[in-house]
Amino acid sequence: MRDLPRRPLRAAPDLRHHRKVIASRPTPVAWLIAPAALLFVLFFVLPFAVMATMSFFSHNPVSNPNAVLTFRHYQRFIDDSAGIFHEALLSTLRIGLITTAIALAIGYPLAHWMARMQSRLGHALLLMAVIAPMLTGIVVRTFAWMTLLQDKGVVNTLLISWGFTEKPLPLMYNEFGTVVALVHIYVPFMVLTLTGVIGRIDERLEQAARSLGASRARTFLEVTLPLSVPGILAGSLLVFALSISAYVTPSLMGGTSVLTLPMLIAQQVGTSFNPGFAGALGVILLTVSLAIVVAYNRILARLSGQGNLA
Amino acid sequence: MSSAAIRLERVSKRFDGRVVAVDDVSLEIAAGEFFALLGPSGCGKTTTLRMIAGFERPDSGRIHVGGADITDVAVHRRDMGMVFQSYALFPHRTVTENVAFGLRMRELPKPEIARRVEAALAQVALTGLEARRPAQLSGGQQQRVALARALVIEPRVLLCDEPLGALDRKLRQQMQFELKELQRRLGVTLVFVTHDQEEALAMSDRIAVMDRGRIEQVGTPAEIYGRPRTRFVADFIGEINFLESEPGAAPRALRPERVRLAPPGEGRVAGAIETANFLGGSTLYRVRGDDGRLLLARETHAGDRAPRDPGQRVGLVWSDEDAVTLER
Ligand SMILES: Nc1ncnc2c1ncn2[C@@H]1O[C@H](COP(=O)(O)OP(=O)(O)OP(=O)(O)O)[C@@H](O)[C@H]1O
Ligand SMILES: [Mg+2]
Repeated sequence: MRDLPRRPLRAAPDLRHHRKVIASRPTPVAWLIAPAALLFVLFFVLPFAVMATMSFFSHNPVSNPNAVLTFRHYQRFIDDSAGIFHEALLSTLRIGLITTAIALAIGYPLAHWMARMQSRLGHALLLMAVIAPMLTGIVVRTFAWMTLLQDKGVVNTLLISWGFTEKPLPLMYNEFGTVVALVHIYVPFMVLTLTGVIGRIDERLEQAARSLGASRARTFLEVTLPLSVPGILAGSLLVFALSISAYVTPSLMGGTSVLTLPMLIAQQVGTSFNPGFAGALGVILLTVSLAIVVAYNRILARLSGQGNLA
Repeated sequence: MSSAAIRLERVSKRFDGRVVAVDDVSLEIAAGEFFALLGPSGCGKTTTLRMIAGFERPDSGRIHVGGADITDVAVHRRDMGMVFQSYALFPHRTVTENVAFGLRMRELPKPEIARRVEAALAQVALTGLEARRPAQLSGGQQQRVALARALVIEPRVLLCDEPLGALDRKLRQQMQFELKELQRRLGVTLVFVTHDQEEALAMSDRIAVMDRGRIEQVGTPAEIYGRPRTRFVADFIGEINFLESEPGAAPRALRPERVRLAPPGEGRVAGAIETANFLGGSTLYRVRGDDGRLLLARETHAGDRAPRDPGQRVGLVWSDEDAVTLER
């Protein structure tokens, strides 16, 4: 955390003292990650303890005295005799990664624009535009996408009437539709996280780069982008965590052709009454996504030339 | 290192169409000159410098460097070094990488970059700190890195915006000497922004004193100090007494060191010492005349004579040719 960019840059006459002050005060980025951290504790860490315990018992140890320790839930997943479990994990990760990538691609330019906007009014309007969709619920927004992307929805009707296509395009009840809706729902998280971090980059650093002979594009690549890595990391973690744990949107937008792990888990708990297997699925999802997050962190740190980021 | 002359031709800049930051400024800065822009906070020094660097575009007027009109040339093609008050070192890069930045942008071969970075770091006495990040350096070291980073590209012009502002007094004085020496050795044209008149007097070949976006006076430190043209310049640089003059006549001013303390009864004004500011080599006395006016007198200490005590009665002596006549 110590290597995160701070603003304003000041001389540090007494280095030791300077260090201490920084170490004892949480950086702005830490606060930006706070909502995500809270989400993680509430929705992952706490249930995780229960879930992980359950996953190693044959039956619910609270209600069934015959419950014994076992590895069979994990074995069931590994064997995958029904041929759906591995595919569900892959589908979940695929949706999570693609959603995060697109949210980043859309969110970064928007956040950069917002962070560097001189006019206060313009900034306020943009902020409103970003936050406003968050005021309507996920279900409402998902239904809105359904009316747009159905076979008889707005988009297909228009495409057909303009003669681009004869048969309606498969825009939903698949991963495509799921990703579209998830991106829309989670892009504000990305924008808000990134705006904070980009806004804290000292513009004089960019000016220094320009005066040293860097073009605008080069300045962006050499200075702005590496210094916004903490924001990219925080925003991506947030969106990835939210989209791999999403349940409502994949269920509604994915129809019968998309099966994600959260859907499978809900099924195991709700219909199959198998909390042990549900727990095992949860542990597997968490382990795999943590591995992805760590790898992502490493790559970004390497690219930005900064050491330990998180 | 080739250096270039700078010419500002009736340059003006307003912000938001309201604030006039720079108002019809014309300046000629010679190649290889150490030139200071001096003035109080908000007088437009930074804005002037930023227009030369290309970060701001003048609303009117032209800027020439090395004989060519660069008013419309993009920042990164101007070949100028800039040292910011905050240093603006890249926090995610090491000292070496910071200094190498400008050379990398010029796509020089790697061995040449390494050689020049090493030389630049040696020049500012930073050898051994190559692998550190800016946050691991003291203020003075950061300042040197900023200087090395700007100089290593061998700019035609070096622009400095209060580069020593964040340093403590002792270090600041040391850096003043070093910067001056470096500039003379390299022969680079250096435009130096400061609101510290002592610093400007100590370092510059010439000074432009600015007030509210306008140039009040341009001259050598001795001219600015000894022959201030306006009340503003006289007042801003050092201490000064404004003398009473007949209504309608030009105002006149007198430096405290031109006023001699004499035994009571001698001189033009009789009065008592109100306060004595001991300055080490000299003492600045504030004398309240019996007619009520205040005058400053500076007395240099010979030997180990103690400063005079407040309350002591004195006479003040000066000669008319030591007084400066001001234009306004
Ligand atoms: N980007 C800007 N937008 C609006 N007004 C500005 C901007 N930059 C400078 N100004 C105004 O222009 C005037 C001159 O500012 P400038 O920064 O050039 O002063 P300065 O002489 O460098 O002062 P200081 O010694 O405090 O740095 C000030 O009134 C300032 O408020
Ligand atoms: Mg300034």
